[in-house]
Amino acid sequence: MRHVIRYICILFGLALLWISTSRTAMQYLVTLRDVKNTWWGVDELDHGDLASLSYLYNIKQFAQPKWIEPEHAIFNGVKHTALYIHGDSYTRFIKDTEQFAGLSSYHFIDRNRGGTFHLDTTQKNILIIEISERYLRNYFSNLDIFSNFSEAGNDGPTSSSLLKEITPRLSYASFPGNIKLDSIFNVNINQNLQFNLFNYQFIMPMFGCKAAINYYLFHRASGDVVISADKKFLFLKETVSVDDKSSSYSPLPADEVSAIVERFNTIYDHYKQAGFNEAYLSIIPNSATINQPEGYNNLIPAIQNDPQLKIKVIDVYTPFTMSQELVYQTGDTHWNRKGLKIWLDIVNKKLTE
Amino acid sequence: MNGFSYFWPCMTFNSLQFLVFFMVVTLWFFSLKGQKGRIWLLLLASCYFYMSFIPEYILILGGTIVIDYFAGIQIERSEGSSRRSWLIISLIANIGVLAVFKYYNFFIDNINTSFLFFGKPMSFPLLKMALPIGLSFHTFQAMSYTIEVYRKNQPAERNFIVYSLYVMFYPQLVAGPIERPQNVLPQLKEFRAYDWDNVKEGLARMLWGFFKKAVIADRLAMVVDRTFSHTSETSSIALFIGAVFYSFQIYCDFSGYSDIAIGAARVMNIRLMENFKQPYLSSNITTFWGRWHVSLSSWFRDYLYIPLGGNRKGEARRRFNVFLVFLLSGLWHGANWTFIVWGLLHGLFVILTGNSLKNAEEKGSAIITTVKTVATFVLVTFLWIFFRSQNVASAFYYIRFICSFKQGTNYIGISHAEFLFSLLVIAIMLLREKYIPAHFISSNKRFYAFLFSMIVICYLFGVFIENQFIYFQF
Repeated sequence: MRHVIRYICILFGLALLWISTSRTAMQYLVTLRDVKNTWWGVDELDHGDLASLSYLYNIKQFAQPKWIEPEHAIFNGVKHTALYIHGDSYTRFIKDTEQFAGLSSYHFIDRNRGGTFHLDTTQKNILIIEISERYLRNYFSNLDIFSNFSEAGNDGPTSSSLLKEITPRLSYASFPGNIKLDSIFNVNINQNLQFNLFNYQFIMPMFGCKAAINYYLFHRASGDVVISADKKFLFLKETVSVDDKSSSYSPLPADEVSAIVERFNTIYDHYKQAGFNEAYLSIIPNSATINQPEGYNNLIPAIQNDPQLKIKVIDVYTPFTMSQELVYQTGDTHWNRKGLKIWLDIVNKKLTE
Repeated sequence: MNGFSYFWPCMTFNSLQFLVFFMVVTLWFFSLKGQKGRIWLLLLASCYFYMSFIPEYILILGGTIVIDYFAGIQIERSEGSSRRSWLIISLIANIGVLAVFKYYNFFIDNINTSFLFFGKPMSFPLLKMALPIGLSFHTFQAMSYTIEVYRKNQPAERNFIVYSLYVMFYPQLVAGPIERPQNVLPQLKEFRAYDWDNVKEGLARMLWGFFKKAVIADRLAMVVDRTFSHTSETSSIALFIGAVFYSFQIYCDFSGYSDIAIGAARVMNIRLMENFKQPYLSSNITTFWGRWHVSLSSWFRDYLYIPLGGNRKGEARRRFNVFLVFLLSGLWHGANWTFIVWGLLHGLFVILTGNSLKNAEEKGSAIITTVKTVATFVLVTFLWIFFRSQNVASAFYYIRFICSFKQGTNYIGISHAEFLFSLLVIAIMLLREKYIPAHFISSNKRFYAFLFSMIVICYLFGVFIENQFIYFQF
């Protein structure tokens, strides 16, 4: 009997390692387990991403209020504006395009997934590059900013990505025999193991227990989440660590600001030449930037107010700092309804100018 | 750190991947009936373990293993100058790899800076390479093999698989203990039956190591990171707390790693050497070095200090030898002036105490011993500041701020409750290691109770962030 148990454990462990390494198997499992209200279901981020990440969603002040969409924009003119947003999680979830004023069409490309914009030359084409503050500095050292685009009637893209991989990332080499090492050594294996071993609805109370001990006894959250100094907000740890470029408080050299501005100017020229009537930059501040401004490195004002900056700006930093109401969710990295409404109002003003 | 470095998600001892890996390898190990199969299993498992950090660097490790394996055989076969030449080839191969990957950028950076200082800017190119994980550990272990073969203390190992496993044995591959061939090679070749007592002792020790890492070291890291990154605005008392906590952080981090390594080997009936012997209870700095990172300090003693003459060639020569050993010990830890200054200061204090490296414990009244122990701890703590700081100037800055009794924020990155809890777990750790140093629990019931309570404590009070073990970078 002992031998049988031993072999079962070995096989279970090997299978677990293999599944957690295989991207195909993990994709299959993630899809399979995307079922709510079952014991094997995944713990969704329904409670707010940070509250879920820290298992503090049972703490009243971090609980997610029910999301109410902002009202539709009022517009009575002829709709002839095509809006293109090259954005991330702040704009990804905008599904109701009636919140924008005067749009004839709406196109969204998730920066992390890429895609192609098809320009409609009969319309007024407006591009908004929306980027979270925490990605801003890392973005320009790692990733491609130009999306593919094509004009209506053309078969394919007229221009492809121009800036690629500014700093090469270390990648796995191929061994002789064409063995791809990244199929054996998955860098996400620990997250995948956590998903396979512990990410079940029935285990969540255990995580909640540890989180509650940390919160009530030590007044902090665990892992990658920190509680604001006034105890009212959760912040992503990387946005407050002084040694992280995603942080609102990490040192900001002047030459880095100049380099970022220069890149945005190149991007602006690129899209203007491509046929966009206008291109806007919209940097969405970290929650910490607005809710815990002491020690802020002034990244957003430094870029937005740089006299060399050519790209036009949709500035939410200023109205966010002046707002008397909360503009961020307390248990989430993202804005609340009020924050989104402020952004929409500014965007709609630009669209109807 | 100079040069290019980055942190890669990998199989550290506090990762889930290691937990599953360890379970599979250990159960499989005991399922095999022959030692040949076990050696192959452990070698393949060790390759997988090492490659989970940066896969390509297995080729460098493999290269040095091949060179040292043949060098060992040739040393045994040869006599006179030929014998010496093979030893030198082996040493050059190992030190060469260290020089290229660990020290090249440091020296080039300093040369470039020197040219700039003299008004003649030069820019010799730097290498953009990550440091192979645990490089200093396995190269030193490999060198101890060829040196021992050269000294005729150890026969050359003819079985390439066994020799490879001696260098690559996964529990101690990336952060020691730096083993000697006389201890490990015979154990690897001998078939040892499953022994429940060893399994119990090994698992208990692993959990104790995990407790030190997750509950103490990673908790103290929050204070240390805060005080070392907010030095100018923090009060002297808070900076001092940060420095003291760093002493315990680095101890719990590194000795915790060693406990897990020794425990993991013990489960498989393999005894590795002890690496720590309650170093903070030392009553002088020389004794401290007989108790801290024993496998490294004994390596330097056996292969450098004694061959240089030790204390047999007069006081002046002894001082020079001590100074050189500590200079190289500092350099071993990293290519940065902070480590060199740290090593030199330790050397200086060892010389000032007037003792040799082989000095035994001092005797004295309890009060005097206690005062000396506290003084030694404070001295070691101040020297750790160099070890932890980004550069030498920052270290002096930190020390100056502690000594100036300046006002500032007393916030140390954790709440008062967590500060008190940190003191409590440090006290528990010190008392347990002082009064219950053994890890073997004879009663099965007590063992299961210990296992269960440690798992619960580590889970509830552990700080689980992706913190690597500090000594992995060396």
